[in-house]
Amino acid sequence: MKKMERSEVEKELRRFVGANVYVHSEATSYVFVRNFTVQLTEAHIAGEGPYRVALRFNGDGWLRMEALTDYEVDDQGRLLLAGFDDKGRMDVALHLGKEAFPE
Amino acid sequence: MNNLNQEVSRKLLLVLAHPDDESFICGGTLAKYASEGVQITLVSATRGEMGRRMGNPPYLNRETIAAARERELRHACDCLGIQQLQFLDIRDKTVEFMDEEPLISRIEGIIHESAPDVVLTFHETLGGHPDHCAIGKVTAAACRRSGKQDYLYYISFGNMMEQPERYGYTRNDIVKIDVSAHLEAKLAAFRAHRCQSEIDEWVWRPDHEALARFGAHEYFIHAETVSPDRHNHYDLFH
Repeated sequence: MKKMERSEVEKELRRFVGANVYVHSEATSYVFVRNFTVQLTEAHIAGEGPYRVALRFNGDGWLRMEALTDYEVDDQGRLLLAGFDDKGRMDVALHLGKEAFPE
Repeated sequence: MNNLNQEVSRKLLLVLAHPDDESFICGGTLAKYASEGVQITLVSATRGEMGRRMGNPPYLNRETIAAARERELRHACDCLGIQQLQFLDIRDKTVEFMDEEPLISRIEGIIHESAPDVVLTFHETLGGHPDHCAIGKVTAAACRRSGKQDYLYYISFGNMMEQPERYGYTRNDIVKIDVSAHLEAKLAAFRAHRCQSEIDEWVWRPDHEALARFGAHEYFIHAETVSPDRHNHYDLFH
């Protein structure tokens, strides 16, 4: 993964708008959801780093996450966002894919 | 010659939850018995794919961590002398939500196949993590159904079982294994689990400094209460 660049990530997020999207989202140690499927209508990024990302979906849904620091587009075209602390431990993750993630 | 044959035929089955449980908790004991020719089978319920530690600095993400931890576990098994490894393919952090019956049956099947003389797993309540307690509970049930409850021991953390009374046990329930001659292998296994141990600076200090962090003993709780005269307190294979 590499450090997030707002304009790059914004561009990558846009690829998923209007699509049926599989979402993995977690606040590590507290909650995770895997393979939520949503019809994504808007994707936003905010902040100067760490970043906040918000998704609008299904006409009336929101998913908002903060403390995101790193990103990667993997070889399957999935957008992986994560937030790490200063010791490399993951605090949050937000992954978007057009196919289901392995269960 | 007879003795040698007997040594070779001894078998130990270990049913745990995450890659690294075997090394971080009881790696010295595994290395010791492997060095004596005991055949060790490790079953890991998960691949530890929901862990927070991703290397330091991080080099993994949620989608790559499972394969990386499996690789690291295979390396750790080599360090300790564990010959057989299998996964139950349960997602990390969800073991306690699995239907117990099919899981117990699967573990019974593994017990039947591997015909162990000793089974090690987590204690159902002292396991320290929901996945640990859950896999310990079903493994204990599988042992009972297989008629192997007398072979079952629970692993324990550090030297907490120096004072078994604090946890409702007596000294008679505890087996204390001297692992002082096998700490190099244990350290190598810690380092094999790089993405998990990288954050712990002491692991990567010069060997003599890192080794000084390990205790000389690892402790196991006998699942069944046995009569004091029959029980060897310094060997799992009584």
